[in-house]
Amino acid sequence: MRGIGKRFGALAVLSNANLTVKAGTLHAVVGENGAGKSTLMRILYGALAPDEGTMLVAGLPYQPRASSEAIWRGVGMVSQHYGIIPELTALQNLVLGAEGSAVLKTSSLRSGAQKLADQMGFPFDWDALGSDLTPASAQRLEILKLLWRGSQILILDEPTAMLSPGHADAVFVSLNRLIKEGRTVILVTHRLSEVMDHAEDVTVFRGGVLIGSMPVASTNATELTRMVIGGEMPTPPPMGSEFGRDVITLNQVSLAPSPLGKPLHQLSLCVKEGEIVGVAGVDGSGQRELLRLIAGLDWPSEGEIIGFQGPTSQRLADGLRIIPEDRQSEGMIADWSLEANSALGLQRLPPLRRGFCIDLAGRSQWAQAVVDRFGTKAGRLSDRMGSLSGGNQQRFVAGRALTKAPRLLVAFQPVRGLDVKGAADVYGGIRSACQGRAGALVISFDLDELLTYADRIVVMFAGRLYDVPVAQARDRQVIGRLMVGQSEAAA
Amino acid sequence: MLNLLWPTLVLATPLILAAMAGYTSERGGVINIGLEGMMLASACTAALVSVVHGAALGLLAGVGAATLLSLLHWLATQHYRIDHVISGMSINALAAGGTNFLYGKFSNPDRTGSIPHFGVPIFVGLAFGVTAALWAGTKYTAFGWRLVAVGSDPAKARLAGINPVVIRLIGLLMTGVLTGLAGVMLVSDSGVFTDNMTSGRGYIALAALILGGWRCVPACLACLGFGVLSAVRLQFQGTSALGGHIPTEAWASLPYVVTVVALAGFLGRTRTPTGLGRL
Amino acid sequence: MSWKLGSLIVGAIGVLVLAIWASGVSPAEALGTLFRGTLGSPSAISGTLRETTPLLFTGLAVFLALRAGLFNIGVEGQFLIGAMIGSAFAIRFPGPFGITFALIGGAFGGAVWAAGPGWIKAYRHGHEVITTIMLNSVALYLTSYVVSGVIKDPAQQSAPTVNLAEASRLPWLVNAPPVQVSWALPLALVSTLGLAWWLKKTISGYELQAVGANPIAASYAGIDAPRMIFFAMLGSGAIAGFAGAIQVVAFEGRFYSGFSPGYGFDALGVALLAGNQAQAVIPAALLFGVLAKGGTALQIFGIPKGITTVFLGLIILIAAAIRYRKVIGGA
Repeated sequence: MRGIGKRFGALAVLSNANLTVKAGTLHAVVGENGAGKSTLMRILYGALAPDEGTMLVAGLPYQPRASSEAIWRGVGMVSQHYGIIPELTALQNLVLGAEGSAVLKTSSLRSGAQKLADQMGFPFDWDALGSDLTPASAQRLEILKLLWRGSQILILDEPTAMLSPGHADAVFVSLNRLIKEGRTVILVTHRLSEVMDHAEDVTVFRGGVLIGSMPVASTNATELTRMVIGGEMPTPPPMGSEFGRDVITLNQVSLAPSPLGKPLHQLSLCVKEGEIVGVAGVDGSGQRELLRLIAGLDWPSEGEIIGFQGPTSQRLADGLRIIPEDRQSEGMIADWSLEANSALGLQRLPPLRRGFCIDLAGRSQWAQAVVDRFGTKAGRLSDRMGSLSGGNQQRFVAGRALTKAPRLLVAFQPVRGLDVKGAADVYGGIRSACQGRAGALVISFDLDELLTYADRIVVMFAGRLYDVPVAQARDRQVIGRLMVGQSEAAA
Repeated sequence: MLNLLWPTLVLATPLILAAMAGYTSERGGVINIGLEGMMLASACTAALVSVVHGAALGLLAGVGAATLLSLLHWLATQHYRIDHVISGMSINALAAGGTNFLYGKFSNPDRTGSIPHFGVPIFVGLAFGVTAALWAGTKYTAFGWRLVAVGSDPAKARLAGINPVVIRLIGLLMTGVLTGLAGVMLVSDSGVFTDNMTSGRGYIALAALILGGWRCVPACLACLGFGVLSAVRLQFQGTSALGGHIPTEAWASLPYVVTVVALAGFLGRTRTPTGLGRL
Repeated sequence: MSWKLGSLIVGAIGVLVLAIWASGVSPAEALGTLFRGTLGSPSAISGTLRETTPLLFTGLAVFLALRAGLFNIGVEGQFLIGAMIGSAFAIRFPGPFGITFALIGGAFGGAVWAAGPGWIKAYRHGHEVITTIMLNSVALYLTSYVVSGVIKDPAQQSAPTVNLAEASRLPWLVNAPPVQVSWALPLALVSTLGLAWWLKKTISGYELQAVGANPIAASYAGIDAPRMIFFAMLGSGAIAGFAGAIQVVAFEGRFYSGFSPGYGFDALGVALLAGNQAQAVIPAALLFGVLAKGGTALQIFGIPKGITTVFLGLIILIAAAIRYRKVIGGA
């Protein structure tokens, strides 16, 4: 295998992009959200068809029409949100699509799978259902899936985005092992530290255009940063200094387990006026349930929430604003216009209501204000919400939550899909909202983001909240250990 | 009691075949309320063809007609991306209207009495054979795993190199064949075709599939249960054995009521395939 | 308009032409008959309007549920229950008072019949399509039992109830036989426009449609989605039951087993064809009214009535291919 030469151009997403990867190396592809790197990888994996350009794998022409063809040519990919089917067992997930024969013998499949897992040093319960896997073991299973298919080129899209720092390091140990075996890894990431520590070569994209490609040894973090964002890092807004009265207090709040969510155990938390509190933790630690409790979508089985009570509509009227985790399914109605979406959640509040009716004039003014708040790039207010790009949808949803002074903002990954400037804008907006009499609770899987913008960080793990010891409040290692439940080690 | 056994099996057989047809469709994520129409189309075509060309061609024609409608469902849901329920409704309309039209136009009024057909016991055996085969197929074949994967999350299955559209095509072809057999069975059992002769059996089969939690063997048992209900009703209609006060309409309604109660979650949680209706 | 859609439409027309050709009638002749029988004379038009009226109400019932993301296939059953209760009330209490009672009772009955599926959908996550299909069968059995027992005309051996007294019937707006137009028609039109206004202008209408478009986003927006789903189903059932009662007091004058020739199913076609504007239910219902009336006209020609049902199926398919690609509600 001598590497891939690849050239093609799509409309605005990606134009005339080139990528050459040497066999047996770890090649990092970096760029901001919307830079086109994921698109490029999906084309390489046959999940998208390029509009122009050519690809070579191991010197031979390569034109996958579907992922199955890519797999056959030895190209495998782990997408950011994993491809584990919840209703199948780990073993079934492993071999799915590459079972080897029409009629299957579970025992021989199992021993083959175990051999593979042993090689990588992964312990596995092959009968566990896909839905029961933790993010870390789902990640491992994904890597094993590629090996099972004999992939020589492994594409990993943000493999560490959902993992704690400790598990992330473990991923790189595995990847290094694979490279020693002669396989090639293409790593898509936005974490430059990973690039500097593990990659041999790096290619940078910005706005769908190739910026540069070089050996990691010949560059440094500052230069890479400049290439990625096309300028200097924006300076983060200053931290809050004076905190006022309590905005919301959770007092020993628990949530009973349900088929739909994880249990929460005796959470205590207080957000004060002027304060941005960050909730760190790996995916699935109970953040979603916490947000739903505060929003009034679930009811605590024990304890009380002081400051916001009653049904969701009441809490919204009291000044609660929510930036939900998944803007597409929770924060907007894709088929509706921007104008109709601008009222979502605020439909019973002025200036959007007049008696029983919608104040249509008030609503269109309001919608314009929401669009302008964080510079959503949109055509007309009557355009479909779904026609906006992901980043612009996020700007719109954030703008809706912050245009009218909130009392409490609860935000789940508020800058998801935004570039560095957009992220700084939104956090700037949160900060200025908090300089009034508001507080904010920000949930994120990205610890660096919280370290940059939050006044105080609490850690969530397995449905419990942990305070970070004051002396080590900004210590990445300490927080990272808390994120995987090693609280004793931290203390 | 013994004189209930055979009627039960005969009454349950078309239900089992149709429920299994629903299984291969819905396990792959395609909602199928068109089972009723497919059965009806098969029954009508089989009746029309058998009279002229004999039982074997009649069977083939019946299966062919049902498969054609099943393919239409595949085309509508997978290529035109029409909502699965709407497509199923229109298939039922096409079948109800089409059979009324065709039978009204082409049946030979001179030919009365029974039409040629295969023996009912063959179908009874077939129904149980199919159930066993599908159970084993889901557990031990690559296709079975892929079908479940596609029904669970088509987008993720696609990432694993599986083409959901193709898997669903195979599933729906099976649906067509099985509903076809169910329709031919109905004609074979009664010896005639009558307008709307499926009279809701497709829906009852769907109900059995739901009651069985989208699993083969429990769905088959549910069909047998419904078969017992019908057998008892037919056996004791008009006699005082059913307690006299309970009208036959109540007996006939029982499968539907049980299904509604089951959907309300009073009979345990059912495990719906999560990819039902998704692309 | 893609080639895909084009080929679907061509295929649909092909099926129909084939069917007409197979029945040995020239298509031109068939179309002519269809036109004369439905719109060709005042009496034909009044017959078409009579067919259109129940389709307007039932179409509206399906439409309302659809806006809330619900597929109310149970309109057929709710219609039957409404008609049964309406007729019982109208028989028991003659006069204008009885009409009012009948209509309220019919709406109430329809709502009750829809309450189970609505509750199951909202709070137990059971798919409303299945529950309503099941309850349609139960409604059919129940009404045929009741009409052959409890409220049957004592003078008859079976089936129908007595005819309503003249005083218990809704008056005609135009009464010049054979041309007759019932007050039910303007009532249906006003209801349609009222619903259109409510959906477009009011906050509760906005909230109902938000639930229909994205129930999760609606919950985050402070809307009690399950409650909204329940009440939307109740409202839909009430309209369907009201339609049944109207059918008794305005047109049929009695109730019998097999009362509905499938209005509930035609209503699905009406609502799907109407898309997302309530006003569009009016032309859609008219089209289906023409079809229903025309089917009878064609029958005289020796074309079995089934052909109109085939046409209905094809229309639903094409309408859905154009604008109903998304899964509604989810399973």
